[in-house]
Amino acid sequence: MGWIDRRYQVTPLFEFLRHKEVPIGSHWMGWYYLGGVTMFFFVVQIITGVLLLMYYQPGEATSYESIRILTTKVPFGWLIRSIHSWSAHLMIVSLLLHMFSTMMLKAYRPPREITWVSGYLLFLLTLGFGFSGYLLPWNKLAYFATTVGTNIVKSVPLLGDWLLQVMRGGQDVSINTLYRFFAGHVVILPLAFVGVIGLHLLLIQRQGMAPPVGTTTAPRGMKFFPSFALRDLLLWLACLMLLITFAVFLPYGPGIPGMDWELGDKADPFAPAYPGIKPEWYFLWEYQLLKEFPPHLFGLEGPQICLFVIAILLGIWAIIPWLDRRAYRNLNSPAFTDFGWAAILFLTYLTLMGWDIGAKSGSDDPTSLQKSAHVCALWTLAAGAVVIIVRGWRFKHRWFILTGAALLQVAVHGLLGLPYLVAGVISAGAAFVIITAMFLLGRASRSSAG
Amino acid sequence: MEEPSPSDSRTSRRHFLDIILGASLLGWITSVAYPIVRYLKPLPQTGPTGPTHLTRDESGKLEQNKFVIVPVSGQRVIVLQSQDQLYAFGAKCTHEGCTITYLPGQSVMWCPCHDGRFDMNGRVLSGPPPQPLTKYIAKKQPDGTIVISEQHA
Amino acid sequence: MKTFPILAVFIVWSAAAFAADQTPVKPSPKLAAMLDARDETGKPIITPEQRTYYEGLDDNLKGLLNHAADKETISRAEHLSILLSLNLSPQKLDVLLQNNCVLCHSDSANHTPDTLFVAGPSANAPAAVPMNLKEVVEDVHFRHGISCAGCHGGDPTADLGHDFVKEWPEKDRDKNRAWVVQFCARCHADPTKMHDFNPALPTDQLAKFKTSPHGHRLLDLHDDRAPSCVSCHGVHGIRPAKDPQSKVYAQRVPETCGACHASATVMAGITRADGSPMPTTQLAEYKKSVHGRALLERGDLGAPRCNTCHGNHAASPPGVAQVSKSCSICHSANASLFDGSKHKVAFDQHNWPECGKCHSNHNIAKTSDSMLSTANGGLCGDCHRQNAKDNPECIQAADYFHHTIAQLDDARKRITADSEKFAARGLDVEPISNQLNDLTDALKKSRTYVHSFSRSSFQQVAAAGEQAIGKSDELTSNARGEFKFRQYGLAVSIAAIGLLMLMIYLKLRQMER
Repeated sequence: MGWIDRRYQVTPLFEFLRHKEVPIGSHWMGWYYLGGVTMFFFVVQIITGVLLLMYYQPGEATSYESIRILTTKVPFGWLIRSIHSWSAHLMIVSLLLHMFSTMMLKAYRPPREITWVSGYLLFLLTLGFGFSGYLLPWNKLAYFATTVGTNIVKSVPLLGDWLLQVMRGGQDVSINTLYRFFAGHVVILPLAFVGVIGLHLLLIQRQGMAPPVGTTTAPRGMKFFPSFALRDLLLWLACLMLLITFAVFLPYGPGIPGMDWELGDKADPFAPAYPGIKPEWYFLWEYQLLKEFPPHLFGLEGPQICLFVIAILLGIWAIIPWLDRRAYRNLNSPAFTDFGWAAILFLTYLTLMGWDIGAKSGSDDPTSLQKSAHVCALWTLAAGAVVIIVRGWRFKHRWFILTGAALLQVAVHGLLGLPYLVAGVISAGAAFVIITAMFLLGRASRSSAG
Repeated sequence: MEEPSPSDSRTSRRHFLDIILGASLLGWITSVAYPIVRYLKPLPQTGPTGPTHLTRDESGKLEQNKFVIVPVSGQRVIVLQSQDQLYAFGAKCTHEGCTITYLPGQSVMWCPCHDGRFDMNGRVLSGPPPQPLTKYIAKKQPDGTIVISEQHA
Repeated sequence: MKTFPILAVFIVWSAAAFAADQTPVKPSPKLAAMLDARDETGKPIITPEQRTYYEGLDDNLKGLLNHAADKETISRAEHLSILLSLNLSPQKLDVLLQNNCVLCHSDSANHTPDTLFVAGPSANAPAAVPMNLKEVVEDVHFRHGISCAGCHGGDPTADLGHDFVKEWPEKDRDKNRAWVVQFCARCHADPTKMHDFNPALPTDQLAKFKTSPHGHRLLDLHDDRAPSCVSCHGVHGIRPAKDPQSKVYAQRVPETCGACHASATVMAGITRADGSPMPTTQLAEYKKSVHGRALLERGDLGAPRCNTCHGNHAASPPGVAQVSKSCSICHSANASLFDGSKHKVAFDQHNWPECGKCHSNHNIAKTSDSMLSTANGGLCGDCHRQNAKDNPECIQAADYFHHTIAQLDDARKRITADSEKFAARGLDVEPISNQLNDLTDALKKSRTYVHSFSRSSFQQVAAAGEQAIGKSDELTSNARGEFKFRQYGLAVSIAAIGLLMLMIYLKLRQMER
């Protein structure tokens, strides 16, 4: 120890860790563990990914075949692939939970804005991992899903065509696309991810976990080591248990569309695409939103406008720390809590519809779609009602305008049958009018009081 | 023997716990390492992927009957020899899915179910089959083994 | 200076040629008047779609239209409208516009419904009327340049000429259609004439027809109900048999034959060779049969239809001895096994139609293993009790066939289900499905080899199946073992993780104390 310390001065580091504390506040401590869980899944991804690389051979005649041999002939090959797939999906689940809990607890407020932005980048990189990894087995399902998925970038203004060709390595999805996705999946994305996660962790270790909103003085704390770190470890071991159990009993996923990795047939670029091609579950909302846009709108192409809308939503999400002025001053900001819930309900409704809940899968028949929208609306409204009741009763929240707007859109589209976009404009307008009115009334009362 | 003092019993208990902790850590590492070690041990075959090789048994049958039916990644493939040329086709008849055979005397492949006949290019000569047979590639290696691969691979 | 005039002439000439090349053909004044004509309500007679079609025509066709308008073979806007509304391809319109017969006979001002071509079936010109312009231009004869005149005579380029060919009956053409076969045979029985149009087409249709009961009835008995060429091939609008719209296309043959043979009124009074009345149930039976369903429901064009067994122009019922010959066209393996069996001799003695005895004729059902049953109601059992009481070993053989096949089939079902279950669990089922392929093959062969009615031949093919079952059972039990191993491995790992977690928890408590 002394030998190392003389050369690398690690004692201050240990001192730092010994005194580091995790704040204990009025909220549930569980939220603090989600980042660690996400990182655990990422480490599992790296280990199993490297193992898979030892057998995987990218190439037209080998990609599919090597995965086939891996899962059938290589001892425990099935286990490694199954864990890799399960861990990928669970990583996204825990990442989403981590992100939304951070958002609801306003942990992004100063001085942690960069932590939020780096986490946001990690979120995008993870989606990139999911998208690029899907194609690598070179099976039919992945081939067509990638064709549909990459087609979206064509709608990017000016650069669209160039981007499409760069992504695909040609006009169409071919083995060249696989080489590019392979490079992205095993080299480019991991390098970027490790860099950003380094920054993310460094910031968290330097600044500590965010205490609950409103606390000014240092609250009671839990020792980071051993109390918090060992609890982290316990949770990780529990996750490992979950992973191997799933891997043995559900080796190809839970059988939900978009969460299924049975190899199936080899990709055949000359085979006709079959109806009902769906992306993975975490892209379903985007896929559904694209379907809700008509081919042409205001003289522009529908997908173009849709991409624009998605870009704006993602942009707002990235700069939330600067938008939320109340949290900036360490005050409760009910409007942004409500915004988070509205976003969740918005995504829920689109995802449910993307799953064809309550309809025949892959059917484009309008009555069937209408029925599906109806069923999905009922589910989303029920979820929304639960959210509002719990927030109002348990947390004494009183600000529901954006959640209300999201639910209004769901109701107008699903129950009344108006087009999705019209419903969106109606509810956005309603929310805008109410918020403006509240703002003006508030100013009037303040000025009269003054 | 003197009675162990309370502090002694605590240290020994701590000591005991540490030993079990170490042991269970070792056990866990073993349970993780075992599959990985097995996974990394190379397969007995030369390569995990690649075309199918005819076994000695199958080559013998080919030599004797002028044709043999072999499994290639889950499909049945007929390999046949006609005038010192090797051919390989999907052995499933395109009509009702019966397994075709080769009639060496007539240089045709024949499906016994409804008398479908195919020529040496897999094309339908007569009978009800609606489509030609799927072609595979059969090649004789310099060492005498015969290799079958899918055409588009 | 001398060259100047030559040069000038050349320039003028080439400019004129260039201009002629470039100017599109404009509608002649008469055609333009028709194109712009309006009816009494002021609506244009030529619809916008017809107008667009006209604009899209090439110069040659526009020229032909001008020519027809100037010569007044097209003189009314209504007439022009009919021709444009056909929406024909340029090649067909070309043929049509050069044919004065069609041009004149499509103008309603000149003709009564029985000689007037219409643009398509409508209320006042039902589909049965063979005067359909759309059909005529599709006719294989029309396409080969044998237009109206080819059958009816006359000169299609002349302005007017009804110089009928001598074989065309002046009157009573509908009464007895026997003349039709002779009329078609003028070309179709003449190899030299046919050689000019389709050298591959046979010329023996009339000869064959004369041998058939159809021909006998039409030509010798002068029965009006008997079919002639046009009954099956149509009149104006005859298409080659490979054209899916042809009445003799594989999938339409059953309905074409059934038009008469399924009708009790047409078949009334007609008897079979043995004197019994002609049945009319064949079409309904065929549609339900394994062959009918293959052809009509699954679209298997290789499946047999009426003419596969009965013949086309020489259509006749196969005699008892010929039934197996018809079946063996496709079922050659079964037929040759049967021919080598004891049953062949016995059936011939009884004068039974070989295949038909067990499988019936028009309503051949999908075979089932229960046909081999020797119990009461079972095919083998019933027949043998009645006709071959003295041979108990036959019943035993049938029992053996039935039992073995049932065993193979049960094993196939069981192994298929197992392999699907294993596949869902992520186990390697490729070796099992290879064995399953062998088993399925052996099962099919065994069912075929029943027709040898010989225990030893059957045993040879069934043995391959039994071998496959043995291997599959071994593989399935291996797979089961592998899954067990996975479960045990999981249990051990979970135990190890659980123990570690417990220890960490205890350690944590100790450290926090």
